[in-house]
Amino acid sequence: MDNSTYVALSLAQAMERELDMTANNMANANTAGFKGEHMIFESYLLDGAGVQEGEDISFVLDKGSFLDTTQGPVSQTANPLDLALLGQGWFSYETTDGQLAYGRDGRFTLDTQGNIITLNGSRLLDVGGGSITVPQDAGELTIARDGTISSATNGVLGQIGVFDLPDLQSLERIGGGMFVRPDGARAPLQVSSVNTEVVQGSIEGSNIEPVMEMTRLMQVQRAYERAINLMNDEDDLRQTTLQRLNNVS
Amino acid sequence: MRALGIAATGMMAQQTNVDVISNNIANSNTTGFKSSRAAFQDLIYDNQTREGALTDDQGSTRPTGVDIGLGVRTVGTVRLNAQGGLASTNNELDLAIEGRGYFTVNLPDGGQAYTRDGSFQLSAEGEIVTLQGYQVDPGIVVPDGTVSVDINEQGIVSAYIEDDPVPVELGQLTMTTFINEAGLRPLGNNMLEATNASGDPVQALPGDPGVGEIRQGYLENSNVDIIKQITDLISAQRAYEMNSKAIETADQMMSTTNEIK
Repeated sequence: MDNSTYVALSLAQAMERELDMTANNMANANTAGFKGEHMIFESYLLDGAGVQEGEDISFVLDKGSFLDTTQGPVSQTANPLDLALLGQGWFSYETTDGQLAYGRDGRFTLDTQGNIITLNGSRLLDVGGGSITVPQDAGELTIARDGTISSATNGVLGQIGVFDLPDLQSLERIGGGMFVRPDGARAPLQVSSVNTEVVQGSIEGSNIEPVMEMTRLMQVQRAYERAINLMNDEDDLRQTTLQRLNNVS
Repeated sequence: MRALGIAATGMMAQQTNVDVISNNIANSNTTGFKSSRAAFQDLIYDNQTREGALTDDQGSTRPTGVDIGLGVRTVGTVRLNAQGGLASTNNELDLAIEGRGYFTVNLPDGGQAYTRDGSFQLSAEGEIVTLQGYQVDPGIVVPDGTVSVDINEQGIVSAYIEDDPVPVELGQLTMTTFINEAGLRPLGNNMLEATNASGDPVQALPGDPGVGEIRQGYLENSNVDIIKQITDLISAQRAYEMNSKAIETADQMMSTTNEIK
């Protein structure tokens, strides 16, 4: 019977983690290309010693978190190197330490060599996995819906790669809006077959739904209180038991 | 419980956002001003349960992990280099650039700064200077007795002196372009300076391929879109409130913890 405190504790701990996750989603309410993360719970059935038939105990286990891949709202910025993706495709980048990463953050700028880079210096990759270089005298840049980038003076400069990520949920988040394969594998890139469009002069905002996050916050708080109350009730029960036993003796 | 710290990063980010927006609004009538926006990215993640970890001895792997993010950070303020509208002033030394490029300003300390603000004046010596009195490269001097100054689209400055119907060519204004204009660092007084991120300044003349042309008698307005700034301000405020709500919830949960007997 001592287990009920621990069952309640497993709930309280899971709720703490969910609170952390919700707080992170809310903190990134204005982060371009951000995708919300949500917790998946499952019950963990304990069929170990001391538990009789029909007295299974299930603890709460936060089994994993999943990425909400819904499209974020697209807003116009008029900056020629702000790109939003419409659809399920992903940009790919080569980070400054050589990792192959994926993301939907389309706020780009140029480095001193004219390579298209993200705000933290990772290079944007083209369809073949190479970087895209804009010459000094390029003038106005035009990026077509399929990612073809061309300039007024130099013609076509390359095609921005938009890729499918079928194994998206198994990717690890490394911050900066980027995702990498957990084993660091540079699996062959798969050019997007779905109709993902590149929209120039726009940014995809965070896909966080404030209402959902606020309700989740309330839910988490109440579930947490419930768990704590359960612990207290259990404690009362034990105390009463001990008192009664005391009276008998 | 990390929610307190996470929500605090969110509040700080929104504060920065409001600071940047207020500066844009404050400069909505500043000649040649380019609006900025604060750019945010998610912070590192705490991978509590790793993706791809083995779940049994048959080689099954965990399809998802538990990634808890630790908040948000400001990675930079990005300047929007879109063309501002041109306003007619009829002042012959008011110049606007239509297209890319910057006027080059020679600073008194020998360095150079770059500006889109073409509201120029003459110094006591007749030199074309900015409103701070700094020389506009290459230091064109308008001689005494000049009736009017004509500056064409290529930046060639010519003067009509006294009754002479034929103008005298005084020189050509230079311009500077950068591979990455967003990397220029603002100095205040409408001036920017080159940095490692902007790349080396590239000397050019107005009207060169990919370089803008000069419009005499016009000034470039600020490119701040007030409606966008106001809506951004509202969204920043609401995001700030939302984060404070997360702090409140974390606080109440901790207080519940303290009620355990």
